[in-house]
Amino acid sequence: MSLYAYDQIDRDMLADRAAEFRDQVGRRLSGALTEDQFKPLRLMNGLYLQLHAYMLRVAIPYGALDGRQLRALAGIARDFDKGYGHFTTRTNIQFHWIKLKDAPDILDRLAAVDMHAIQTSGNCIRNITADPYAGATAEEVDDPRVWSEAIRQWSTFHPEFTYLPRKFKIAVTASAKDRTAARSHDIGLQVKRNRDGQLGFEVMVGGGMGRTPYIGPTIREFLPARSLLSYLTAILRVYNRLGRRDNIYKARIKILVASTGAEAFARQVEAEWAALDEASIDLPDLELARIRTAFGVVPFETLTERSEAFEAARAADPAFARFARHNLAPHKRPGYAIVNISLKAPGETPGDATAEQMEAVADLAERYGQDDIRVTHAQNLVLPHVKLDDLPVVFAALQRHGLATPNLDLVTDIIACPGLDYCALANARAIPIAQDIARRFEAPDRAETIGELKIKISGCINACGHHHVGHIGILGVDKKGEEFYQLSLGGSGAEDASLAAILGPALSADQVAPAVEALVDVYLDLRAGPAERFLDTYRRLGAAPFKEAVYADAHQA
Amino acid sequence: MTLQVLTANRLLDGEVVFWSGDHWVEQFADARRFDAAAPADDALATAKGQPTVLIDPYLIAVADDGSAPVSFRERIRALGPTDHLDLGKQAAGGLAIEAIQHAHGAARSTGRLSLIRRKP
Repeated sequence: MSLYAYDQIDRDMLADRAAEFRDQVGRRLSGALTEDQFKPLRLMNGLYLQLHAYMLRVAIPYGALDGRQLRALAGIARDFDKGYGHFTTRTNIQFHWIKLKDAPDILDRLAAVDMHAIQTSGNCIRNITADPYAGATAEEVDDPRVWSEAIRQWSTFHPEFTYLPRKFKIAVTASAKDRTAARSHDIGLQVKRNRDGQLGFEVMVGGGMGRTPYIGPTIREFLPARSLLSYLTAILRVYNRLGRRDNIYKARIKILVASTGAEAFARQVEAEWAALDEASIDLPDLELARIRTAFGVVPFETLTERSEAFEAARAADPAFARFARHNLAPHKRPGYAIVNISLKAPGETPGDATAEQMEAVADLAERYGQDDIRVTHAQNLVLPHVKLDDLPVVFAALQRHGLATPNLDLVTDIIACPGLDYCALANARAIPIAQDIARRFEAPDRAETIGELKIKISGCINACGHHHVGHIGILGVDKKGEEFYQLSLGGSGAEDASLAAILGPALSADQVAPAVEALVDVYLDLRAGPAERFLDTYRRLGAAPFKEAVYADAHQA
Repeated sequence: MTLQVLTANRLLDGEVVFWSGDHWVEQFADARRFDAAAPADDALATAKGQPTVLIDPYLIAVADDGSAPVSFRERIRALGPTDHLDLGKQAAGGLAIEAIQHAHGAARSTGRLSLIRRKP
């Protein structure tokens, strides 16, 4: 067991919550509650009204699931939706065809497997993002799930922070390589050790995307780990007090940090922190140890570095070898690997998984993966602990279920929000653009030649598709009721975080994939060598050659 | 004047519905086309008085031949998601669905007439 286990208090709380929502739905259907009264209540339970139906967003705290939970999600997809679900950039899952009358039964089903839709909407602290390789990578200085779980417990229903000026998102990573987009969060925390070996956090505040994107500045280089919750309290108190409530577009903490200045904001936080009673807020050592124990008991076997079964399969099967090159990452234990499961098969909807696929992944996790599954902010899944010996069998099973696409971080591994196909806020579709691009680069040799290239597509300025931090970002806009797409280049959500810059005038939908191809051709022509990524070439040369290629091609089209 | 159709989402299941002139229907083809403002506004007012049946009723603009909503967003509502052509209203198929799928042009993406400032 490598998932934090709920205790009876947690389970009673979830049962109460589901029963409360059943009563609220009943009162709405009877007319005792108006829609204006009911809407905030349903949103606090993750239930949105979208274009075709209600959408239920289910929380997957720090992206961690076990097989039992993923099976329950598959069951919900099959019994209450249309057979599939959509994993999101917040590492949650959304069901897009939900009926209001079914929502209470779904919350009961979720509660039965220690799941819920709390912290998936509203101006509270939302689901925490953690490194999907947590507990598996040798890069990390500590397990970020321990701290994510501590923050989850502290923030759930926190009375002071349930009605913030705006929603609030926190990321926790413990590796130098950032797989959480930490500097795009309201607060990014990187677990570090100082020169004395003491555990602590680099604290970044005020990153974000949306209408006004910012890369979050560091306001404290090293915060002793034991002070995490009191320091977060100080940040949130300053934000709660000074964040704008008069203008929804200026209400996020990024606006406060940018307008105050990072240094001045940091001073305000430090002053607030100094006035707090830390001991009454920070996690007692005993409680921290209890949480840590939940994540620290994976029964790894003692294995050798080399697996004959793995090497034989790699030599015999080029498809397996390609999968191994792109979708595996080194594990901290000899004889194990981290397996990335791409939900980006060319032509499919990014992030979607059918009920059968979810069950297949649950099976694999239970049989070969220590019953541990992660969701990534790039809308993929991870089996963090698989023995090299078992990889040929796991790969074959993934192939059977359309889950063995060998494209992690390649041009076809595209992030896309649901866009105007589903979302009531969107201005344009995102999914068909992703499908067009993925089909154009479907040939795996070509994608491999191109190398790391992160394309991120949002259907509106709210930027759920993270377009601001795409190597190529694509934003759908509405021009007199028609879909147009603005290209941006040079963004990164990784440790080399940067914001993408708009390349030029927006393009029509059918011009986008050809434009991406033109960008890629320029990159391949001009890169210093295969090791230079698209992003590096752009940073070295600037926008000019890319702009020339896209707009020359677009005008010819 | 621009043809109009009255639409909403059904409270119980969120389904997109249209006013037929007599009851709420699921297919755009069965919706009443209003060619005058007064009866359309009356129907909208009546719909707003059905809070246990509907959420957020509003009028949308329809192409001159009545075959499709003017706006792209409303066409998607009348059809279903374009990544799953087997799902939503479009799964029924037929000429009326094809007419919406092949419609072009748009006035604005929401198509909500109440949000458009009409010139006197």
